[in-house]
This record gives sequence, C-alpha cells and structure tokens, in this order.
Amino acid sequence: MDPILTINILNVVYEVSTLAVVVLGLAVVFGLLGVMNLAHGEFVMIGAYCAFFIQAQNLPFLAAIPLALLVCGFLGLVVERLLVRPLYARPFDTLLATWGLSMLLREAVEAVYGRGFRSVATPLTGSVDVLGADYPSYRLLLTVVSIALVAGLVWWFVRSATGRRIRAVVNNRELAGSVGIPVTALARNTFVFGCCLAALAGVMLAPLLPVNPTLGLDFILKSFFVLVVGGLGSLVGLISGAGVIGGVESVVSAFLDRTYGYTTVLIIAILFLWLRPNGLFPRT
Amino acid sequence: MNGGVSGPLFSFSNVTGGYGATTVVRSAGGEVSPGEACCILGRNGVGKTTLMRLLTGHLPLQSGSVRFDGQSLDGLPPDRRHALGLIYCPQERPVFDNLSVRENLTLMAPAIDEGRYAPFFAAFPILESRMTQSAGTLSGGERKILSFVRGVAEAGRLLLLDEPSEGVQQENVERMAGFLHEAKAAGRALLIVEQNLAFALDIADRVIVMDHGEVVLAGAAADMTEETLAAHMHV
Amino acid sequence: MASFLGHSAALVAALALLPQLVGEFWAYTLALYFLYAIASLGIGLCWGQAGFLPLGQAMFFGLAAYLSGLSLIHFKDSWLLLLLLPAAALAPGLLAYGIGLLVFRGRTLSGPFFAMITLALTLLAFQIANSWNDVTGGFNGLKNIPGLPGLSDFTDLYYVSAVALGVCLIGIAWLRRAPAGVLWRAVSQNEQRVRFCGFAVQNVKAAVFGLSGVLAGIGGALYAPQQNLVTPQLCGFLLSADLVIWAAVGGRATLYGPAVGAVLIGILTADLRDEISYWEVILAAIFIVVVLYFRQGLMGFVEPPVERLWRRRAKRTLDGPARPAASGDTGFALDGVRVRMGSVRILEGLDLAIDRHGIYCLIGPNGAGKTSCFNAMTGELPVRSGQIRIFGHARTGTAADLLSRIGVGRKFQAPSLFPDLTVAENFNIGLWGGRARLRDLVRMRSHGWSSAILREAQSRFPFLAEEDRRAGDLSHGQRQILELVMVLIAEPRLLLLDEPSAGLSQTETQEVIEAIRWVGGRLNACTVIVEHDMTFVRELADRIFVLHQGRLLASGTVAEIQADERVRAVYVGASA
Repeated sequence: MDPILTINILNVVYEVSTLAVVVLGLAVVFGLLGVMNLAHGEFVMIGAYCAFFIQAQNLPFLAAIPLALLVCGFLGLVVERLLVRPLYARPFDTLLATWGLSMLLREAVEAVYGRGFRSVATPLTGSVDVLGADYPSYRLLLTVVSIALVAGLVWWFVRSATGRRIRAVVNNRELAGSVGIPVTALARNTFVFGCCLAALAGVMLAPLLPVNPTLGLDFILKSFFVLVVGGLGSLVGLISGAGVIGGVESVVSAFLDRTYGYTTVLIIAILFLWLRPNGLFPRT
Repeated sequence: MNGGVSGPLFSFSNVTGGYGATTVVRSAGGEVSPGEACCILGRNGVGKTTLMRLLTGHLPLQSGSVRFDGQSLDGLPPDRRHALGLIYCPQERPVFDNLSVRENLTLMAPAIDEGRYAPFFAAFPILESRMTQSAGTLSGGERKILSFVRGVAEAGRLLLLDEPSEGVQQENVERMAGFLHEAKAAGRALLIVEQNLAFALDIADRVIVMDHGEVVLAGAAADMTEETLAAHMHV
Repeated sequence: MASFLGHSAALVAALALLPQLVGEFWAYTLALYFLYAIASLGIGLCWGQAGFLPLGQAMFFGLAAYLSGLSLIHFKDSWLLLLLLPAAALAPGLLAYGIGLLVFRGRTLSGPFFAMITLALTLLAFQIANSWNDVTGGFNGLKNIPGLPGLSDFTDLYYVSAVALGVCLIGIAWLRRAPAGVLWRAVSQNEQRVRFCGFAVQNVKAAVFGLSGVLAGIGGALYAPQQNLVTPQLCGFLLSADLVIWAAVGGRATLYGPAVGAVLIGILTADLRDEISYWEVILAAIFIVVVLYFRQGLMGFVEPPVERLWRRRAKRTLDGPARPAASGDTGFALDGVRVRMGSVRILEGLDLAIDRHGIYCLIGPNGAGKTSCFNAMTGELPVRSGQIRIFGHARTGTAADLLSRIGVGRKFQAPSLFPDLTVAENFNIGLWGGRARLRDLVRMRSHGWSSAILREAQSRFPFLAEEDRRAGDLSHGQRQILELVMVLIAEPRLLLLDEPSAGLSQTETQEVIEAIRWVGGRLNACTVIVEHDMTFVRELADRIFVLHQGRLLASGTVAEIQADERVRAVYVGASA
C-alpha cells in the first residue's frame, strides 16, 4: 500500500478513536442525567495540564494519570453537587451553568499558567513501520489504547451489573428508583466517571496537542457535533458520529488544510442541527 | 416481622397531592395489614395512579402522611422505600424496554435464580421463551406479566400493583390471582389498583373506591355488592 | 404616554450629561461599550423576552462591522455612505431573520439546538473572516478605517454611540410595552398556547431574532468608524459569550439590564483585568451564581418597581375587529385515521364524524386515544394514514395556528396559559389572535380591545374582572376557567375541550358546565369534550362517543351507552 495513504488512514483512525473517548464520557452523562456538560472539554484541558505539571516536576509521565483522575474526580464531585443536582429538571439552566463553569475553569488555568502554549514531551519517541509507512510510535500506541478503552467501556456497559443499571435509569428513571436502584448516587458517580474519562483523554493527548487554556473549547464543540450527527440513541450512533466528524476533519485537513477541515465540520454540524436534529441514530 | 401482630403494616392518611400546583388527590386514607389485600377501584381519571405515585415517593405529598411498619416514609426516595420492602409495579412503562427480559429480572439480583422464578416460568412460559429478547418487543400484556413477576418474586413485605391485569389475557389474569393468593397466605400485604372488578373482588379483603380524587367508599370487600361497585366504575 | 415621554427625556438627559461628569477618556471608553450594549440589548429581547438564547450574536456584530468598514474604505466621503452604513446595520437583521425562519420552522422545541446552531454559525463566521484574506484582510483584519465624515474628537464619537443607544432603548421600551412585547413574553412561557391562539410562533421568533440582528448590526456598523479597525475576533466565540454574560448579569428580562451589564462589566473588566489576575475567574463565578440564584440579574432588583409605575392598564374601551366571517360546513370528520408512535399504535383506523351543532362527549378507558384524537386533529401528531376534514375541507396535518384562525379552539387538559402574564394580557393574546394585523401589534391602543363574549364571561365569573392579577396566582379551577374563556373569545366554531373539569371542585364543575352550555349556544358551535367525570357527561352530552384501543367502540345517547354491554366490558372488565 502507498505509505502516504497508510499514514492518512492511520490519522483518521487516530482522530476518530481519540474523539470517541472524549465523547463517550459526555454521552453517558447526557444519557443518564440529561445534562449536556459544556465544561466537559475543560476536564480534558485540565488533564493535559496535569501531564504538563508532572513533567515540570520531573516525574514519570504515567504519574499524571492518577493526578488527573484525582483532580478531575474531585472537581466533578463538587460540580455535580453544586451545579448539576440543584438544576435537575432545568436543562437549559444546566447548560448555561456548565458553560459558565467552562469559562471559570478556562480562566482559572489561564490565570495560573498564562495563555501561551505549553508543550508536553512525548513519553514514547521514535516511530514504527506500519505496512511500509513510518508512523510515530506514541500516536500508534494512543490509537490502540483509545480503541481498547472504548471497546472495554462498551463491553462493560453492556455486560456489567452497573452498566445494566445505568441503561435501566436512562430508559426509565422512575421505574429504576422503584426497583431499588439508588438513582441519585448512580447519577453522581456517572458524572464523576465522565469527568475522569475526559481527564484521562487529556493526559494521553497532551503530548500531541498545543496545551493551552482554550483547548477544551475545540473538544466540547467537536464532541457536541458528534452527538448531533450520531444521535443520542446508541453507541452505534456515537461511533458513527465520531467517524463522520473525526473522519471528515482529518480527511479534508489532509487534502486541503486545517481551516477547511474545521469549516467542513462546522457546516456538517449546522446542517444536521437544522435538518436532522436527532442525528443518524435517534433515541426511540 | 416487627410491625406488631395486629396493627397495619402500611397506612396512609390525609394524603393530598398532584402535579405541580394542581391537586389531583385530596385527603385519601387507607391501610393494609400483613396477609391482606386492599383494592383501589374507580373510573379512570379519578386519581388512583396519582395516589400510588404519592405513596411510592414518585410525587411529593402536599400534605398527609404515609407510614410503613411504624415508620414515617416522608421524604424518602423510591429506592430507599424499596429497600424497606415496598415493591411497586407501575401502571405505565412497567418494564425497562431496552433491557432484555433476563436483564429486567436480574437487574438487582446477581443471576437468574431458578428456584425464585421457576413457578412463574411454569405459569407464564412466554417469559422463559423470550429471555434474551428486549422487553420492548413484548406486547402490552406480556410487559405487565413481566413487571408482575419481577415484583411478586421480590421479597418485600408490601406489594403495590397498579392495574396488573391491564391488557393481560383472561387465563393469565387468573394465574396472577393465584400468585396473589399465595402472597397473601405468605403474610405479605397487597395494595392493588384495578379496573377488572371480577379480578379485584377475587383477591380483595378490603376495597377503597375513589372519585374526583377523593375516597368515596371504603370497607370490607365482603360488605360490598358487585352492583354497588360497578355503579362507581361504569359510565 | 406622558410617563413614557418623561422617562425617555430623562434617559436622553442622562446620556447627554455623562461626558461632562466623567471626562474625555472615560467618554471614549464608554462609547465603545455603548456599542456592545446595543448588541447585548438584542440578547435581552431574544432571551429575556421571547425565551430563546442566541449564543452567536457576535457574527452579526462582526458582519456589520466588516460591511461598514469596507464601505468606509471604498466610498470614503461619498454620499453613498448615507445608504451603505444603514444597509450595513440592517443586513445582519435580514440574515438573522432568514436564519430564524429556517431554524424555527416546524420545530416546537428549539431551546439548546437553536443556541448551538448560532454558536456553530459564529465559529463559521470567524473562520470565514479569518481566512478570506482578499475581502476581510484575514487575521490582521481591516486596518485604517476612516471615521464617520465630519466627526473628529472623542466627545463626538461618544455622542454618536449615546444617541444610537438612546434611540434603541426608547424603541425597545416601546415594543416591550406594545402588544408585540406581550406576545414575545407569551411565546417564552407557552409556545403551544400561542400557536393555538392563532399566531405562527416561528414567525414571531424569527422576527425577534431579526430585530436582535439589527441591534447587533447597529453596534457593529458604528464600531468600524469608531475603532478604525475590524478583526475576525469581532465575529468570534468570545465576544458572543461576553454579550450573553453581560445580558445575564445585568438582567436579561429587564429593559436596561443588558445595557447596564455591558457597560458596567465591560468597564470593570477593562479597568481590573490587569490589576486582579483572577478577575475573569471571578466574573465567570458571578455568571454561574446569577444563573443559579439570581436569574433576574442586577437590574431585576431595581426595575420591576419602576416598570409597575408605567404599566397602567388600558381600559377596554373599544371592541376589537370582528373575526373573519365563517365559511364552509359545520363540524368535522375523521376517516380511518391511524397514528403510531414508534411501535405503539395510538389510533387504529378511527372513524368519527360530527356534522351539526351541539355538545358531544368523548369517553373511553386510559389509552383509548381520546387526547390523541384531538392531537391528530390539530396537527400535533403525525397521521400515518386516513383523512381529517374540518368544516368540509381537508385538514390532515394542518398547523394549529392556521386551524385557530379558521375557527378551531382547543382547551388542554392541564390549564395551558401564560402564568407570568396578567389576566388582562392572557385575554389580550386570545383577542389579538386571528384579529390583530401587524400594525395592531405595535399600537398601544390594542391593549384596550374588548369583545361581547369577554364582557359576558366577566359578569359570569367575577374573578375574571380582576385583570391585574398574575394568571399563575389564580387557583387551579380559576385557571381552567381562564383558559376556557381565552379559547372562547376567539369565537371558535369547533371547540375541543380536553377534560375541562379535571381537578375542579363540585361547585366549579357546575360553573364550567353552565359556561359550556352558554357558550355552545352563544357561538352556535360544535363542542367536543373529552371527559371522565360522568356527572359532567350526563348533564351535557347530546351524544357520547366511546373510544377503545384507538377505534370508535360505540356511540349514542347517555342511556344507550349505559346499556351497552361492550362498553360495560371495557369499563368493568369481563364480569364473571
């Protein structure tokens, strides 16, 4: 196979799989709590800064993972209690409040680290040969880890007792309480879990991103677009949404440039929002 | 049992509530003792389901009190009530449509316990044959059976059933009645909303009739004639 | 009127005196934030009045700024500027109106989707501005834009901004008090009721959005000559976000709130950003607190008493225009109507026809399809197959607002009205629907419309004469009656009533029974009632229709239905 083509395909897979990790957290929270957490991207951003912080302390890269989970898990706990729960059944206000939160987190990080780009060194240097193409090892590793993570989570969601209960609450919240599922606690844990997943994605992606306070904005928009395109109904929708958004962006970017990639994604999202607001796989 | 030998297991008095500012149920009261079934009758739209939702904690009380086993249930969320032993099978959306029949039955139990469900599968073989299908593909009556089985198989001391026979075939309604008699014999208390008068009178020891959100008639089932009750339910 | 003029004069005087008090530097800074304030006022209209939140208002501000900047660069000192600059301000309004029409069309719930579409559009606008180098100057933007001809010093610029802000505030104050404003607030509270009163909600919302586009356009068109520089950031996400924060913190529902928020926070930010490193964090926290606890914002504490002073209600002195004369047959016909939701069958070939005046009751067990029958008739549920004729014309899937205008009135099961509006305003929406033309909606005198039915209703139900009460403060029974009267004053010929006695006491039920009898005769209408209460049905029904499992099971007089064994089986169960 043509090495250039191979690299492009790998880039698409990389883009789609990492995006899917970020969206998964957002989608599970939305399904269970009915809350579109517009600060989800900021948890990715904080995860990335955790990686930066750890490297600045000369600690091993992997130490960033527990730190990010701790920081974002704690933040998620506080946010769920103070913002999400009091506004339950006021979805529009929740949207605004989490949007306010996203500004707060962004500005807070900016106040500490400034606006400039920080770079995080890749923990795994060098490249590997994939079908004759030279591909950066870390990128490849990340793609594999992302796919494994999404697949593992989907498996867990389908097979585990907790996953079953989450699906039960999403399907029929009232009945869920009646059969003894502690809905409030489950919602809180799910929210925290979603934040942690975003943080984990942030740590993993940090070496490949220009780490800066507005990094979350891109992610939340793209994630939202994924949900718009895929629909909020199913994992199939989520993955196809990530495929469309991540795929189109990386393909168009590869052939033209990043601006066109981004513009195309925006246009697709606007068309979906307008003409097919329930996405490709609507919730029944 | 620590609820005392003679006192009611479950009682509610002066229960008033509804949706938002709208009051649907006014000053409703009643009680059930272990081994006893109480049926709530009335035309549709008179507030029976709203009363059930007020009793199970899905709607807040505007006033009144609900007591279980000598303890006030005020402000307890549904899952805590379930933990105390209140088992509720709602009228509408009685099962998790996107979960399989098996998942519906094992949601809160680690595995399908053959001993627990065997008699039910014997009575309703349709459930066993649909184990892996999602509950949403069942007919309305089959969903009610699934919900019924889930509720009756649980160990709770009080069963609250909202129109268990709705849409269920006559022969299966009779089987349901059989299970409910067994539950009574085992000392469980039943509070049942029904439209099917024959089914209700088969199991009821006590009857509450509602109209306009209020209890208009209450007493021992033996003291009521079918004609009196039918007059309250028919057009 | 006098109070309105006095109020406006005070505003003009305050704006005129400000530069003398604060000095030239601050006057210059104020001038900039006045322009933002104008754009923020548009958010106040959309979000605070009509109830939908635009998150991309900067795209209109930026568009106008680019248009105005290009006009000034290419037509410096030409008389054409007299046309081009107003056009630059109006163009975003047209764009917004067009977007509104497209997005709101056929969509009942537009909340977050609308917000996200506008957000995506503003990002798109930024991309275009940032990369279309030939026209916009790309990343560096348009530089050295000439100022407005004939204006030189900072004070002049201040006065231009101040006049623009003052004019916009006065215009908005007028619209807020005019019928248009009442209609907007009604839309924000209950779109469905507005549609069933005969207004095409999507057009109302698109018009408000268009107006907000014009406001952003005025700000943007003046920005270019004032700052002499237009960059892509002006279309961007951050300015859009700021505009929303200013409106929220200042008080989105108040007249001055969005402007006060823009000026106050804008200036504080300009002043404090460098001194307090956490200023932006504090601001975001303030925004969250406002969203959580103080939805009325700063001016919410100040303005209500002031507004109450103005709001002296117009006396109902003249009857509104008559409803268009009736045409077509009486009644309606459903022919084999099927409705499904997913796999659930709701109506399974329902045949139901009524062709003469009278009172008809629709009964049946839960899930029989009674309310769904109404929903199918009023275009609220998609009909899979079958046909619906109303007044002799095919009306399958016709929108509720059109049906209302041709004489179909519907009362919902739970009282559907405008809880935060006064009783008078609730009546007015009913009166204006199908009667008011566009110009009536900007005239204060339309507040004084009345009608014979309204007067009769007020003498029947004395509480309806207390028109200054908030509708949400009425008791449940009173709200049921208020909604009924709102429907009646539109003088429908086909009246669909969904459980009008739900939640009423016995006395109230009796009153409603009498009212329905009175109005049925008075309007010579065909009245169809879904009802569970059998006393009600026995007293009123000329004929009963029994629905079961989405089909017509039986029809006849009260006695015939009571004797019907099939009906008995449905209600009491197969009796042994």
